[in-house]
Amino acid sequence: MMNVLSYQHYPIYAIMLLFLGAFLIVLFGKNRIARHCLALLSVGGSLALLCLLIPRVMLGGEIITYWLGNRSVAGGFAFGIALEVDALSLFFGLLIATAVFVACVYSIKYMEHDDNIPQYYTLFLMLAGGVMGLVLSGDLFNMFIMVEILTFAAVALTAFRNTARGALEAAFKYLVVGSIGSTCILAGTIMLYAQAHTLNFAQLSSLIPGNFNGATRVAFALLFVGFSTKAFLVPFHPLAADAHGAAPASISVLISGVLTKSGIYGIIRLAYFLFQSMDQATIRWMLVIVGSVSMFVCVTMALAQHDFKRLLAFHSISQIGYVLTAVGLSSLLGITAGLYHAMNHTIFKGLLFLAAGAVMHETGTTDLNRLGGLSKRMPHTTVLFLIGAASISGIPPFNGFASKWMIYQATYQAAVDTNNIGYLLVTIVALVTSTLTLASFVKVSQSVFFGQLPEEYKDVKEVPFGMRLGMGMFAVLCILTGLLPNLVTKYLTAPAAHAAQSAARYINSALGGSVAPAETALPEAVGAWNPINWLLLLGIALLALTFVALLGKYDRVSENASGEKLAPKYDVFFSGEKSEYSQVGGGDLFWGFKQNWRHYFSFMHDLHSGIVNDYALWAVVALALAIVFLQIVL
Amino acid sequence: MFSLEFLQTALLYLGYILIFPGFLFCFVIGLLLCGIDRKAVARMQKRVGPPILQPFYDFFKLCGKETIVPAAASRTTFMMAPLLGLSALVVIQLFIPVFNFRVFRNLPEVADIIVILYLLLIPAVSVMMGGAASGSPYAGIGLSREMVTVLAVELPLVLVLLSVAKTVGNAMGTGLVFSMSGIADYQAAHGSLICRASMIPAALAMLLIIPGETGNHPFDAAEAETEICEGLLAEYSGAPLGIFKLSHAVKMLTLTSLFVALFLGGIGSGVVRLIAAIGLTGGLASAIALLLQVLIMVLLCIVLTLVTISFVHAVTARLKIEQLFKYYWTVVTGLALISLVLAWFGK
Amino acid sequence: MFKKLIEESTAKSPWLFHINAGSCNGCDIELVSVLTPRYDAERLGVKLSGTPRHADIVVVTGPVTVQSLPRVLRTIEQVPEPRCIVTMGSCPQSGNVFRGSYSIAGPLSKYVHVDVDVAGCAPKPEAVIDGLVKAIEILREKRRAMN
Repeated sequence: MMNVLSYQHYPIYAIMLLFLGAFLIVLFGKNRIARHCLALLSVGGSLALLCLLIPRVMLGGEIITYWLGNRSVAGGFAFGIALEVDALSLFFGLLIATAVFVACVYSIKYMEHDDNIPQYYTLFLMLAGGVMGLVLSGDLFNMFIMVEILTFAAVALTAFRNTARGALEAAFKYLVVGSIGSTCILAGTIMLYAQAHTLNFAQLSSLIPGNFNGATRVAFALLFVGFSTKAFLVPFHPLAADAHGAAPASISVLISGVLTKSGIYGIIRLAYFLFQSMDQATIRWMLVIVGSVSMFVCVTMALAQHDFKRLLAFHSISQIGYVLTAVGLSSLLGITAGLYHAMNHTIFKGLLFLAAGAVMHETGTTDLNRLGGLSKRMPHTTVLFLIGAASISGIPPFNGFASKWMIYQATYQAAVDTNNIGYLLVTIVALVTSTLTLASFVKVSQSVFFGQLPEEYKDVKEVPFGMRLGMGMFAVLCILTGLLPNLVTKYLTAPAAHAAQSAARYINSALGGSVAPAETALPEAVGAWNPINWLLLLGIALLALTFVALLGKYDRVSENASGEKLAPKYDVFFSGEKSEYSQVGGGDLFWGFKQNWRHYFSFMHDLHSGIVNDYALWAVVALALAIVFLQIVL
Repeated sequence: MFSLEFLQTALLYLGYILIFPGFLFCFVIGLLLCGIDRKAVARMQKRVGPPILQPFYDFFKLCGKETIVPAAASRTTFMMAPLLGLSALVVIQLFIPVFNFRVFRNLPEVADIIVILYLLLIPAVSVMMGGAASGSPYAGIGLSREMVTVLAVELPLVLVLLSVAKTVGNAMGTGLVFSMSGIADYQAAHGSLICRASMIPAALAMLLIIPGETGNHPFDAAEAETEICEGLLAEYSGAPLGIFKLSHAVKMLTLTSLFVALFLGGIGSGVVRLIAAIGLTGGLASAIALLLQVLIMVLLCIVLTLVTISFVHAVTARLKIEQLFKYYWTVVTGLALISLVLAWFGK
Repeated sequence: MFKKLIEESTAKSPWLFHINAGSCNGCDIELVSVLTPRYDAERLGVKLSGTPRHADIVVVTGPVTVQSLPRVLRTIEQVPEPRCIVTMGSCPQSGNVFRGSYSIAGPLSKYVHVDVDVAGCAPKPEAVIDGLVKAIEILREKRRAMN
């Protein structure tokens, strides 16, 4: 019997802590202090336990297999329920724990004015525990159970502010389509069980590849569609927009940073392990095309939005499209880039959602056409938002650029290696999408934080420190992971990418075979990007310029003396008139672009009817397409 | 750490940033290009035109003017945006090789062409943020148009860069080359890229991109002074305005020298061979070679400015923003695409 | 030395902002003709700017109607120092044929200090250029007086 404190137990503790926290909050949650302590303790403890595993799993290449009740393999057959933690699982686990921790810190102040806060934390921790269980589990049926837990917790949290307009509608849509996804996963699991008579992931992975038949192909399609629903890939993207628009910001962080990751994790496990089919060009293409379409469609949808959080929601899926595209390349550089971007997505998207939450908290709206000029009232939030916006738009030296840059290299490399001009198109789509993302965030900066301050928000204040702390954590991570791409690759993403490529080690570790030592080679990119040196150069240049400018009395400016009546001199030039409030509305900011794409946009507008029947129909069509496609090619 | 050698290296790099090819070089040559452009346009319109040094006068005059910060503006962003934009541009200039001269020849390369593509966004973003922070409705419209211009130019620019990367990669047998110095090395050894038939459409596309990226006529819908009161710069006055005007001039230098580095890089080795033929060797020869190369690059930049900015300015009228977008995404993208396809099939 | 440089530059780069205070459009056309190839005021560094924030010289045309007066004054206020105000044509100086009308608030010199008057209805381009050169000298003096 192992010592209860030995590291093999850490994964189960990490999951159980979250669930235990959820139940304890039901019991003791009435007290404010107890509630916050319990939530922070369980989330922080979970994060700490996973961090303790980094040296062994990430650096040592160890795979932790943990059998619940110590019922392990007998006669070459896995009977018990297993947790299996390789570098890939741990990577996603760490992402999730970090996002959950920051969201929890932020929630303390953010949810202060809501009712039923104990229930909020219970559901919050259930959601976190569900995702954590999903990524650490080594059992297909357990994965389904965790999917159910997290889906229902997410639905309930979407409707948490059920007095808000559209919250119940969003939750209902999510419930319907989410259930279709869960059902697909369940059906796929059953079909695999009927074929292989086991639910252990490692054993399935050793039995299924090479033994495809009609049923396993259908199972692949079912599982793929099921996990795509969880990642909100096209055609499931409208759900995300509704859900994010209605949910509290801290929950949006979880839905975008954590829930979508569980979908991506599922697809990686499915394609790289369960079916080990990534050596087939058609399967690679399937992932790359779904990813690229999600990337492009959602970024254009985002350009048409005029609600802060809905806009972020579409961008969230667009970035997930990047992840899937890169992962679908199946090269080491591609997977590393994809995972890197997945991590960055969690960080910068979390930051942006929290910033949106801060705006919501202070002004009570996220409508881009009604906001403006908040930078003077909320300077810290503005800076934090700008860091997040620069990251997601791929402005150097923030983290979004580092990973997107790797993705460009990977797609272009794939085009050259396979001599397939299609991948080149993917590179171009990725680069253009990035610029469109920038356009979208320029729009948000202009319509929320810059421009003119509307009269009704004259007295808006900066958000409390607790909320800024949460955003600050993400912002620091944005900068660190952007400046140190080599360290991140070496210690986090490359081990996870190697783990994704070595299904044999995963299988042997569970079933008791000899486990080969882990690969450690780092992916090689063709180009060069050295953020620290660049930042050093920019810093010196900026300092020198500022120094010269200050010598020339650059800071001697004329301003309206504070507290005095606005002198005409300091009024904004309004063609001679007294200036009035005239913010350029966010909804129509880029009409020079939209004018040329008007047919596309009106087509998209008609397509997204907002009727849940349509979305359910899309899900069925997607499933049918996937089944037919996989029957033909696999 | 603080050995003599370290101090020397530090001073050397400080010199690169401050003097050549950094601030001083950018300042002088950028404003000179701007002045030549104004003079040339005037001559093409049968006017006498301003003196060549006019942009210098404009800059120093603006330094002496009062700086008004409107009450609606966010002061810090408003004042910092020009400084950030100019510094970012000057840093880009360090990454663009002047024929055989490279700032980072002994160090690992800092940025490849994809990174340069993104670094070019920083000045654009900083002018947009500065304009947005001024609180002017004209700046709001200017921001919208500037962003659409950036979107319009980005696609063909991406295609041009990818086709260059692929062509050089094909020739070197490594598949693709993204590194700026790799492209320069290749051209030094095998002649300029523009001599290849497959690169001519890309070079044409790049020529058309230059005025769009710098925001010159007819692609200056973003700061149309007659309709939207200079757009993003509507509220800027005094020294910050001067720095934005300077940035605009430096951007002309950056883009024209980028063109030289991408398509005309083979000329430098000709200079070196010429000097070797005369029989000069040693330090003096390399100094003269460097000087000549810089001189040739500046001359080429001037020629490119005349062709792509002045000439186009003199013969066209301003495009509406949606026309601009359409033009770039059809004509210019088409040209770049031809090159990319040709490069792909290894011609 | 640096001050001298700025002073010289100020004299070599006057940017105009043009305010129409109810003008009949005659002077406006003449002002534009100053920039045409025939007269080419850009020789002197003159440029028409789109916003008062960029301007050094404000050129006012028209008899300053009651409606336009507050707009004119506000716009002039928004021009950064050092600045020069030039009236163009007879209207802003005397009201010209509109003098005595109930809708005229001029002359402009009742409200702000006018540096240069260019008379005529409309003034010839040569006269406008002459006025601008005078304004440039005043601008140089004003710049010298700063600090």
